[in-house]
Amino acid sequence: MAVTGYSVVFLSLFLLALLFSVIPKVLSWNIRRTFDDEGDEAKKALAGNMIPGEVSAAISVAISLYLNELHDQDTAILTIKKVGKSYTPWNSKIYNVINFKGFQR
Amino acid sequence: MDGLVQFLDYSGFSNITPGHLLMILVGMLFIYLAIRFEYQPILLVPIGFGILIGNTPFIEHGGMALGIYEDGSVMNYLYQGVLKGVFPPLIFLGIGAMTDFSPLISNPKLILLGAAAQLGIFMTYIGAISLGFTNPEAASIGIIGGADGPTAIYLSSRLAPHLVGSIAIAAYTYMALVPLIQPPIMRLLTTQKERRIKMKPPRSVTRMEKVMFPVFALLLTGFISPGSLPLLGMLFLGNLLKESMVTKRLADTARNAMIDIVTIILGVTIGASTQATTFLTRSSVLIFILGATAFMFSTAGGILFARFMNLFLREGNKINPLIGAAGVAAVPESARVAQIEGLKADPTNHLIMHAMAPNVAGVIGSAVAAGIMMSFLL
Repeated sequence: MAVTGYSVVFLSLFLLALLFSVIPKVLSWNIRRTFDDEGDEAKKALAGNMIPGEVSAAISVAISLYLNELHDQDTAILTIKKVGKSYTPWNSKIYNVINFKGFQR
Repeated sequence: MDGLVQFLDYSGFSNITPGHLLMILVGMLFIYLAIRFEYQPILLVPIGFGILIGNTPFIEHGGMALGIYEDGSVMNYLYQGVLKGVFPPLIFLGIGAMTDFSPLISNPKLILLGAAAQLGIFMTYIGAISLGFTNPEAASIGIIGGADGPTAIYLSSRLAPHLVGSIAIAAYTYMALVPLIQPPIMRLLTTQKERRIKMKPPRSVTRMEKVMFPVFALLLTGFISPGSLPLLGMLFLGNLLKESMVTKRLADTARNAMIDIVTIILGVTIGASTQATTFLTRSSVLIFILGATAFMFSTAGGILFARFMNLFLREGNKINPLIGAAGVAAVPESARVAQIEGLKADPTNHLIMHAMAPNVAGVIGSAVAAGIMMSFLL
């Protein structure tokens, strides 16, 4: 049983590996066909090559930085906030201790 | 006066045995390892505390329904989730919602390392048979080599429910000790030159591939090994919830609140199931020894197969054999060990992303192995 079991584990994971070796090629084949229809040989050649993850990450960071640093339009909203103390009984002059009659005397 | 005597009879002091004391020390050791060295604290703290709960002495079957093995006790109800195999699939749902299969999709040949690292399961199965265990017991013990706690609990609850506690404790203990068990084997089976191999960076994976993976992987593995469906079904469902990007709330719940709740209950009940009166037996000791052997064989299987694959791979496409050790499922601990060992050989060589591929493949491989064993033995 041990040998059979180990072989079946290998077989199932081998088939999984095989399937996911083929799927990216099938997906990129569709893209290549689109470029083929457009007649763009340069793009067609690129479509088959997988882009390394770190290249994608570098491109993503560059785009993100570029978009975040764009500042060609101002929103025209003033961001200076008025600093004012709102009324509460605690800062009221009416209830201030100075007004205490006994204290005034 | 009679009441006081009866009270004292029921107290822990009059029911304590050396076994209880030993297990209380083991529980404290688990808690110490988790807090002091941060060895899998999410698992070891609940398990360690569960050991304390399960080994606080009391009169068993004294009418109070306290023990985990007593019908009607609260702990017994919670333990049903382990015995009936309910908790492991729920944990797999959460794991699926956490797991990124991109490293595996980007370099599918690394999946084979996850298969090779199941060697320990089958070698230990043979070893357990030769030590006198029955076929179902041997299969349940062997699955410890898959280094996957939920899978070990699931299979043993189906095939050998009386060994669930020992097997689960052994599996989780060795998973926590992966940083101690694996490095000597990794260094023994690889040369310095091999440990320095730099692998090509993984390519980026499209969303389409990520969505397709759980669907096709489930169908493929499920058709071959239907016994693994409860585990792999939930694993891949969790992953689809994550990768589809349209069920964010469900994925968040699965990978946070739900898996945390199940982990707490699972950990405590597994710990409490180590009640000294039923746990401290010869077979528990043998299970611990066989479990360690299983881990070592699995680690060696992954490394040696990576070296074997290198015989057929062109220069520049070679695999660093250290990542073969990550084929044992213990996610992500064994991948981290591969990274650390790789950095020791070359401080500029980062293997973690590559190691994650065999690591998650190991989860699939051990679940498939469990399914196969069930189909053979049930």
